[in-house]
Amino acid sequence: MTTEAQAKESNAPVVDPNLLPIADGKSVRTYSLGLVKDNRSALIKVVVMHAFAAIAGLAGPVIIGRLVDAVTAQSATTTYVNLSVAILVAAIACQSLITRFARRLSMVFGENVFAQLRENFLDTAVGLPLSVVERSGTGDLVSRTTHDINRVQHTVRFGVPQILVSAATVIITLIASFLTSPLVALAVVAGLPLLYFVGRWYLPRAPKAYIEESAAYAQIYADVTESVEGSRTIESLSLTAARRELVENGIDRAMAAERRTLNLRTVLIPGMDLSFAIAPILVLLWGAFMVSQGHASVGAVTTVLLYTTMLVGPIWDLVFWLDESQVAATSMARIIGVGQVETDRVARDVEPEHETISGSGIEYAYREGHNVLHGIDIELTPGERLAVVGPSGAGKSTLGRMLAGIHPPTGGSVTVGNVPLIDLPLEDLRGHVALVTQEHHVFVGTLAQNLLLASPDATEADLRRALGAVGALEWADKLPEGVHTEVGSGGHTLTPAQAQQIALARLVLLDPHTLILDEATSLLDPRAARDLEKSLNAVLSGRTVVAIAHRLHTAHDADRVAVVTAGQISEIGPHDELVANGGDYADLWHSWQQK
Amino acid sequence: MSGVQSNVNPVWKIPIARPEAGSLATPIKFVIWLASKQPGVLFASVTLGIITFTAQAVMPFAIGRAIDSGLENGVSRGVLTWAGVMLAAGLIQVAASAIGHRFDVLSWLRAALTTSRLIGETVNSTGDAIREELPTGEVVSSVTSDAHRLGDLYFQAARFMGSVATYVVVGIIMLNASLKLGLIVALGLPAVALILTFLIKPLQKRQEYQREVTGRLTSLGSDTVTGLRILRGIGGESVFTERYKEQSRKVRDAGVDVAKVQSTMDGLQVFLPGLFVALVLWIGAMEAANGTITPGQLVTFYGYASFLTWPMQNLIQMVQIATRAKVGVKRILKVLGVENNTPDTGSITSIPADAVLVDTVSSTVLRPGVMTALVAADPDASAAIATRMTRFDDSAESDTPVTFGGVTLKDFDKDTLRHSLVLSEATPHIFAGTLRNGLATRPGTDDDAILRALEISDAHDVLESLPEGLDSDLPEKGRSLSGGQRQRVSLARALLTSADYLVLIEPTSAVDAHTEARIGRELGGYRKGKATLIVTASPLVLEHMDTIQVLGHNGKILGTGTHSGLMSDDGELGATYRQIVGRDLTKEPETASVGADTASHTKGVDLA
Repeated sequence: MTTEAQAKESNAPVVDPNLLPIADGKSVRTYSLGLVKDNRSALIKVVVMHAFAAIAGLAGPVIIGRLVDAVTAQSATTTYVNLSVAILVAAIACQSLITRFARRLSMVFGENVFAQLRENFLDTAVGLPLSVVERSGTGDLVSRTTHDINRVQHTVRFGVPQILVSAATVIITLIASFLTSPLVALAVVAGLPLLYFVGRWYLPRAPKAYIEESAAYAQIYADVTESVEGSRTIESLSLTAARRELVENGIDRAMAAERRTLNLRTVLIPGMDLSFAIAPILVLLWGAFMVSQGHASVGAVTTVLLYTTMLVGPIWDLVFWLDESQVAATSMARIIGVGQVETDRVARDVEPEHETISGSGIEYAYREGHNVLHGIDIELTPGERLAVVGPSGAGKSTLGRMLAGIHPPTGGSVTVGNVPLIDLPLEDLRGHVALVTQEHHVFVGTLAQNLLLASPDATEADLRRALGAVGALEWADKLPEGVHTEVGSGGHTLTPAQAQQIALARLVLLDPHTLILDEATSLLDPRAARDLEKSLNAVLSGRTVVAIAHRLHTAHDADRVAVVTAGQISEIGPHDELVANGGDYADLWHSWQQK
Repeated sequence: MSGVQSNVNPVWKIPIARPEAGSLATPIKFVIWLASKQPGVLFASVTLGIITFTAQAVMPFAIGRAIDSGLENGVSRGVLTWAGVMLAAGLIQVAASAIGHRFDVLSWLRAALTTSRLIGETVNSTGDAIREELPTGEVVSSVTSDAHRLGDLYFQAARFMGSVATYVVVGIIMLNASLKLGLIVALGLPAVALILTFLIKPLQKRQEYQREVTGRLTSLGSDTVTGLRILRGIGGESVFTERYKEQSRKVRDAGVDVAKVQSTMDGLQVFLPGLFVALVLWIGAMEAANGTITPGQLVTFYGYASFLTWPMQNLIQMVQIATRAKVGVKRILKVLGVENNTPDTGSITSIPADAVLVDTVSSTVLRPGVMTALVAADPDASAAIATRMTRFDDSAESDTPVTFGGVTLKDFDKDTLRHSLVLSEATPHIFAGTLRNGLATRPGTDDDAILRALEISDAHDVLESLPEGLDSDLPEKGRSLSGGQRQRVSLARALLTSADYLVLIEPTSAVDAHTEARIGRELGGYRKGKATLIVTASPLVLEHMDTIQVLGHNGKILGTGTHSGLMSDDGELGATYRQIVGRDLTKEPETASVGADTASHTKGVDLA
């Protein structure tokens, strides 16, 4: 790459490969416009109806202007008054009815657009490449799913309709002023320059300040949530003072952020109020002059004067929502950003020749230049049980992910039946090899639903067999409603060990020919873990199992043991052979066994 | 009013205040207590609110007088005068509303943040009790939503009072001009407001439902992406997106239901005040046509009739805000009412250097200078003993007293006790923040000490994996670390307390054998001269212990010894011990089902 091209590249938004992307302003606009276009006909209806409501609302000032003229000219008869008021009532009735339907339509519009937005988002999020999900962690994605979606919600639901309504009202009121008396109406817009300058000063400054404000509150919420979750640790380690300081800092930060936004508003509010206060005075003076010159009637001046006062509300709404939508745009950028993740693999139409998984020269680096794996060669014999042991940080889990096809290796290859794992469509890949880690999650839903996601067509007998294989049937049957008990957040709480059993039961149901278990029984007590592994092995006989474990009984029970040290396999072979060889593994084994 | 002179103005500091029990008795009392913490701010806010609204009320009057003062003759002296009045009123209103807004916000902040601080204080000082008594979600929403809704009450106070004041002023002006019009204003608007408040209940009910289904949608979404690694690993995505879409549709429908009532209310908010304006205009126009009032007065009345819809809307808003605040305060008071399970009522502030910690029921003993292990067939039984030996629930532990230097634990001053006696559980919480802050929980812990503790707990790999070393941020729950890393970090944290008496439950259950062996070797030297109790069944750790207490099935200590002594003991004690910690796998257990009875395991244990 030439230096010029590199320079160009660096102009692109800085993308940390470990973080989910954030869309730029252009993408946000394109996406938002796309949403609007998809709902164009509904949108047009909303705008037209609001325009009619606004027009009906203009009747009041016109009628009173005419009444003023009639009274001044002493031509106001009872019939004239009655008729005028009757027209006014009719106009009000029309305005109310149209408002009612227009509001409803625009709120429904907002609901539909927002539902579409969040459903699209979840579709995208759930389809993220495996490697991205593994790498970027779930925190960022969760906050986009909850915090950002909720922040956009308010703006899409209420903001978009309100901006339309206010814009329509302002425009129509201005047009009406000019129609009533073009010359007098000139004074209405006299307040606009001030409004423009105040707006131009305020709007670019506001989003940053409001984002900091909501970040400050988010910090308080996060700290309190953590304090509740870790309340026991706070008590045992006497962390009360430290946690209190955090809350205090959070409150100070929120206060400082609030002061900042308040200071911005202290310019905005009087600026806008002043332009609203000046406009009617100018209309009055200018109008009086026009009346004296015979260019306008007293009634027309009155009408325009009242129109001027009617502009206050909608303009405030406009500024408020422009402000809000700027803040929402930053959340929007995070929501749309998820869709910009590039896929890490392109599936080819290939069929593995056999079920042997083999890796050659596997290298992997999470950070460029920092290889975690240094050229590992390994071939799994179908049906064997391979235990992977070694010190923390040696690269065992990374090797497991490579063998499961989660990440494409940065060097070398991992194949099944001579086809690289990452060339397989995801659905096929899962049929060949699956990974269960110590990270466990119980989904909201019944226990059965938690299992069915691995195999949607499984019968209840299948579920019970899978639960039995992981030693979970006994406690599952004791749940209030057996396998149909609601579990997960808000439901019956399962212990971490039980959650691990569920994760393994899913794997039994999925039934791939190769399974990678990364510390998949670490949360069970040692004896239970060993029993579980034994019964699991019985169910999985004929399947290839790679078990990464820190408990050596797993290694003892396996067909072969691979010792991973510093990103390389230092020893590999059957347990007895390695013990006889008297290497690292033998030392470890003896110390573990106390011989 | 507390002055506004300098940057360090105390009104911008949230007071550290704790209400007496009486102020927590009812929502009203709490609202009054909060108000008593900010009388100056509230007074300024309300006063400026009244000034703002009154200045606004001058406008229709001035416009009317300007029209009457000879508008047809051009820019006359009268027109100029009234334009001047409008300008003066306008300027007053601009200033009052800008300053008033500052006090409104301040008032909101002081109410909402004082409450947040109180909730934070409760959460941080009540230990386990907060989780036992209330769901986490409820506690969190008391900060995220209830405190803010309570704040809204104080924010709205100024507008509400201003509205009431203008309403009275305008009513009097109208009454003076025309009895009929005055009465219509005095009675008509409250009637309109009353009708509209009838819609508040159904609206809030639907909004409540909408919030509920939205909350459920949010948790479904977060549930799905939290478990995304699992979904991506084994499939089932479509089930989850379908589930989300189904709930999303429910939320949409709930929104449409809200829209029905809300839009009806919006329509009525145009219609009812509109009718009221039309009525005023009708009567006014008749009187103007008769010459009873001037055209300018007609415009004034029309102006007032339209203007008064603002106070009316503020009134309706106040009703809505007050209803929500009441619900919110009730929830806040529930959180504030939680009390620690180990109240700080003890008074003993000194612990003798040779004090022995004794669990009287099981006879488990912890002495200074001794590395002690507690071994039990049932890991829950030994964990329960370790927990009560460190005082976590006074009332639950009243039947199982633990003595410390001969004194029951609850008689100690809490700070004194917690300083000397620390418990670290198998899965402790790791808080978000820098690694340094996470580790150094006691003041005066320097980096050398931290590095030493990381070495002892074999956690240097954690330090190496982080780009900025000790300054690196860990996410909540230490999520970026592996299970083994989390355990070693929390062990380092416990060691760094340098507590004279340290109790560790299963500190190495998730670490590999290499590491466990190293930790076992190092611990004794590091804790030299101090009392350490470790609940474990790992021989790699047990072999380095000075004394091992073996818990029998009856919940009492069966006997004590060293690892090698117990391994070679021929009696029941040795047999029990080996059954628990034995790891000779050459003879297979005969049954392989989970929870198999211990007898079958015994056969698999090599007694040699």
